Amino acid sequence: MAEAQPAAQALVADVPGPPAPRRRSRRRLKVNLARLVLLVVIVGGWQLFTSLKIVDPFFFGQPTGIVTQLRDWAEHGTEFGSLWLQIGVTMKEALLGFGYGVLSGIVMGVLLGMVPFLADVVGPYIKVANAIPRIVLGSIFVVWLGLGTTSKVMLASVLVFFVVFFNAFQGVREVDRNFLANARVLGASQLQIVRHVVLPSALTWIIASLHVAFGFAVIGAIVGEFLGAQKGLGLVISTAQNNFNPNGVFAAMLIIAVIALSAEGVIGWFERRLLAWRPNINADRAGI
Amino acid sequence: MARKQRDVPAAAFGAAGVELSGVTKQFATPVGGLFTAVRDVTLTVEPGQFCAIVGPTGCGKSTTLSVVAGPERKSAGEVRVAGSPVNGIVRGTSFMFQSDALLPWKTVLANVALGPVFRGMSKRDARDGARDWLRRVGLAGFEDHYPHQLSGGMRKRVSLAAALINEPSILLMDEPFGALDVQTKAIMSNELLELWEQTRPSVLFITHDLEEAIALSDRVVVMTVGPGTVKAVYDIDLPRPRGAVQEIRFDPRFLEIHQQIWHSLREEVERAYARTATQSGAAA
Repeated sequence: MAEAQPAAQALVADVPGPPAPRRRSRRRLKVNLARLVLLVVIVGGWQLFTSLKIVDPFFFGQPTGIVTQLRDWAEHGTEFGSLWLQIGVTMKEALLGFGYGVLSGIVMGVLLGMVPFLADVVGPYIKVANAIPRIVLGSIFVVWLGLGTTSKVMLASVLVFFVVFFNAFQGVREVDRNFLANARVLGASQLQIVRHVVLPSALTWIIASLHVAFGFAVIGAIVGEFLGAQKGLGLVISTAQNNFNPNGVFAAMLIIAVIALSAEGVIGWFERRLLAWRPNINADRAGI
Repeated sequence: MARKQRDVPAAAFGAAGVELSGVTKQFATPVGGLFTAVRDVTLTVEPGQFCAIVGPTGCGKSTTLSVVAGPERKSAGEVRVAGSPVNGIVRGTSFMFQSDALLPWKTVLANVALGPVFRGMSKRDARDGARDWLRRVGLAGFEDHYPHQLSGGMRKRVSLAAALINEPSILLMDEPFGALDVQTKAIMSNELLELWEQTRPSVLFITHDLEEAIALSDRVVVMTVGPGTVKAVYDIDLPRPRGAVQEIRFDPRFLEIHQQIWHSLREEVERAYARTATQSGAAA
């Protein structure tokens, strides 16, 4: 919300009327009101059409049904144990996959970015690997590593790796030659150059990729559970699907959305902290 | 501080002389030819001397400098620093570019402390030294600012502090004040002279501003239009300390020297101009 203000101010700057602070708070009120109306129209419309049987609730679910389903899960647990256990398992898989993927992506990206010979040798293979629909790898991982968390962590980290790797690689290549030359003349070792010049410079790129990467980590975990698991939200979804329970699918989706949004918030906070040196980071983020 | 620096014999500190003899640098062009940037450059900078190189644009001034600093390898000839031949990065050399090479993600203090940290000094000592140098260039109180929060002149001061904190025996400057406005440039030149007189490294200073070159230097080297080579060397006998660079310009001796060197430089500038004129004519 706060970021949207400068733009709002510019839009209404030459309209005569009440003083700016009041006008601004009134506009914010209007925006929030409109958002609420939009939500009510969509969810209410969904509820209305399904209860009037214009749309069949058996296939399309129903908002009240979703809430009931969520309450039921929270109170009585799912078929595979408590709801919190399912969330915990999926989160653990996603976070571990995210961690391994980010780490290996950064290491490989920096390594290949710094050593052109290596980049030339490995480059084509990475492109080929990237062209493979990696979701399919999930089946192989389940075969190799079984139905436990390991196969999901592998799938998630493979998905994350490529996103982070390409960004880190590009970031390393974009490092200002002047900075490198200066660091060398100042007597920096190769390791010091990576630590003081290359990594901080590539960080802007790497962090930008983290937003997308976390989404991929969640996808990896869920799809992995879809392909075969004993616990997790993905399993909950696929079971709901097999039982013709659209409310269950939507309810699990809602939970995943909340998780992804909170992760987004954490990454944003992390980004602002790490890139505090950047001029006007908030101005860049105005808009959406 | 010199004690803490690695791999450097103590004798290399203080000022070191620089000798270039017959230095040639060729680049491979994208079309597969060879481009000679500088040809057979021979020049000497005495220990502790302030030597300026002037010449028209594209005469290989910067190439000469980077051959001395080490990032560029020469194609032929020899560079000797403090009497011993060099190949690669020379310890005890500091570099100052036209575009300041300050790291935007480090504070002013951390930027200045970078040189000593790279040379193995503890972070604490390096920061203490950096604080001292920032005070000497008049930036006390700006330690925690980021480079983008400073003006162009202030950033130059930070670069100057970062270059001098290593107590270089050779200071290489590639049009360091080229991007500054005239007033800031004059102020920075004065400060450079003041600091140089305290520390006295040998300086190789590249500029296309002849007045700046004469006002600052003991020796002015005029280079020919590319492939660049040394055309003439002038020793400047203006007394030191020179005082304000803005005022020395009106000294009769300054004018005399200026006229003499300009006579030599003008030919090269005109040739360089004629060359670009025919090239753009041919292109059109």
